[in-house]
Amino acid sequence: MKIAVLVKQTPDSETRINLPGPVPELDDSGFSRVLNPYDAFAVEEAVQIKERLGEGTEAVAITVGPERVMETIKKDCLAVGCDRAIRVDDPALAKAEPLAVARVLAKVLERDQYDLILCGKQAIDDDSAQVGVMVAELLNLPHAAVVTALELGDGTFTATCEIEGGQQVVTGPLPAVITCQKGLNEPRLPSLPNIMKANMKPVEVLSLADLGMEAPAPTVTVTSYSPPPARGECKIIENDDPAEAARELVRLLREEAKVI
Amino acid sequence: MPNIAVFMEQRDGEIKKVAWQMLSKARALTDAAGGEVWGVYLGDGDPAAEAGRRGAHKVFTAGGEKLAAYNCELYTAALDAFLAQHQPDLLLVGATTMGKELAPRLAARRGLPCISDSVDLQWNDGWTVRRPILAGKCYTDVVPQTAPAVVGIRPNAFPLAEFDGAAATETFDPGLDGVEPKAVVKEVRQSEQKTVELTEAEIIVSGGRGLKEAENYKLIEELAAALGAAAGASRAIVDAGWVDHSHQVGQTGKTVSPNCYIAVGISGAIQHLAGMSSSKCIVAINKDPNAPIFKAADYGIVADLFQVVPPMIEAVKNLD
Repeated sequence: MKIAVLVKQTPDSETRINLPGPVPELDDSGFSRVLNPYDAFAVEEAVQIKERLGEGTEAVAITVGPERVMETIKKDCLAVGCDRAIRVDDPALAKAEPLAVARVLAKVLERDQYDLILCGKQAIDDDSAQVGVMVAELLNLPHAAVVTALELGDGTFTATCEIEGGQQVVTGPLPAVITCQKGLNEPRLPSLPNIMKANMKPVEVLSLADLGMEAPAPTVTVTSYSPPPARGECKIIENDDPAEAARELVRLLREEAKVI
Repeated sequence: MPNIAVFMEQRDGEIKKVAWQMLSKARALTDAAGGEVWGVYLGDGDPAAEAGRRGAHKVFTAGGEKLAAYNCELYTAALDAFLAQHQPDLLLVGATTMGKELAPRLAARRGLPCISDSVDLQWNDGWTVRRPILAGKCYTDVVPQTAPAVVGIRPNAFPLAEFDGAAATETFDPGLDGVEPKAVVKEVRQSEQKTVELTEAEIIVSGGRGLKEAENYKLIEELAAALGAAAGASRAIVDAGWVDHSHQVGQTGKTVSPNCYIAVGISGAIQHLAGMSSSKCIVAINKDPNAPIFKAADYGIVADLFQVVPPMIEAVKNLD
């Protein structure tokens, strides 16, 4: 079985952003970066399937991004059990939107034919939650989104998907795209020796030209980046008697904020 | 201004509140600048009366066996047929689990602009869509380059409004002859307790590590019940196994935008703020005056939550 894991390096959610006002471009040069946390569930799932099925199962991490993403790919994908990686690197993809990234990934996936495609349910930078499902659509494959449990049968999958107020169970044939949610597994941490060994694992770097593609025309443009809407000062309810403060809070929420 | 279509998500015939909110917002926009609001409804039934009251001029429906219950591939095909037949300028889809997989499927099929989980929408001889990124630390203005654009709308981003008049109903051909989905929904399991669903709730009470032990989460549930609110949780107490993950608010949990969010014993890590900072009114109850949650809050009480929450429950019960 051949498993593809679609991964993305994202800014760490702790990264500070100082925006004095709206700007046309966001300076992200100082961001610290990590593997998108949802992609870690996809990587772990691939590695667990490999361990279960043994010989003949391959897990390939596939990403779009510049040279700097290699640190993440090595430490969080190759060092925890992916066999090799493919990185598409092209200046034309620097600000690529989800549809463009999905088209590129679909092209890579088409070239090599995978049985299972795993990815995070969304990336924590733009939170678009589009790429995985778009890849499924572009390859005319079934998908299951926001998956918290996955079983593979003989050429089939059964996935438990989180929905509002419950779950739905989705089944279909392989190959399929599975977008992974917290709860699917507990991602392992890389060991130091494995991080060293990860340097020996093959990484293929492809350009758009290598894939026979041209730079995709954007369907959306981002015209401004602004700080979040300002909130007024927090009104602290001062009272030595917490019960009195509680009653005052309820009164303010009813009469002033009018939200309860 | 061109026409705005709104996907009216239903499960078991019950239409999601976000659909009504999107109709109301769309109607406010078309009343100001022209154009019509179209509801798009897949499944059995005819929601035109209520849709009219919420702002729709017209509702396009398609039913039949294949659309009775949700299937992403069939619903995508039906919406694809709708866009081909009626060419709205914009298709609004709720940022629900259903909408979040339908929108990208549809956009990829037709090569359309797709903008997820948006919180505002403006028309100024063209659309500008506003959405948070980077855990809510930055808001972007996004402009679609072609029409129609598929735009996901965060539940509770827009208020409900009331309009006069009924919407006309028109059926459309979803073009599903010979279309067989590859993936099928085998089973839908609703959680047993019929509490208010987090992402749709107008009020949410969430608890965190300050609750000290699992059993004390019942304080959160009691306050939530008294307010008719949903009960949420921080990542810390979900990871500790006190509460099911379906209650988690924040990164790796749910994104919510209620009118009122009450954070009890939650310090307010950025991962938590990412999931709730677009709430209209935020209340923090925490004994640590330096907890970051107070920076995000509108109202705060610095005190031991065990001394605040019980009298708060009483006070809420005594409200008219």
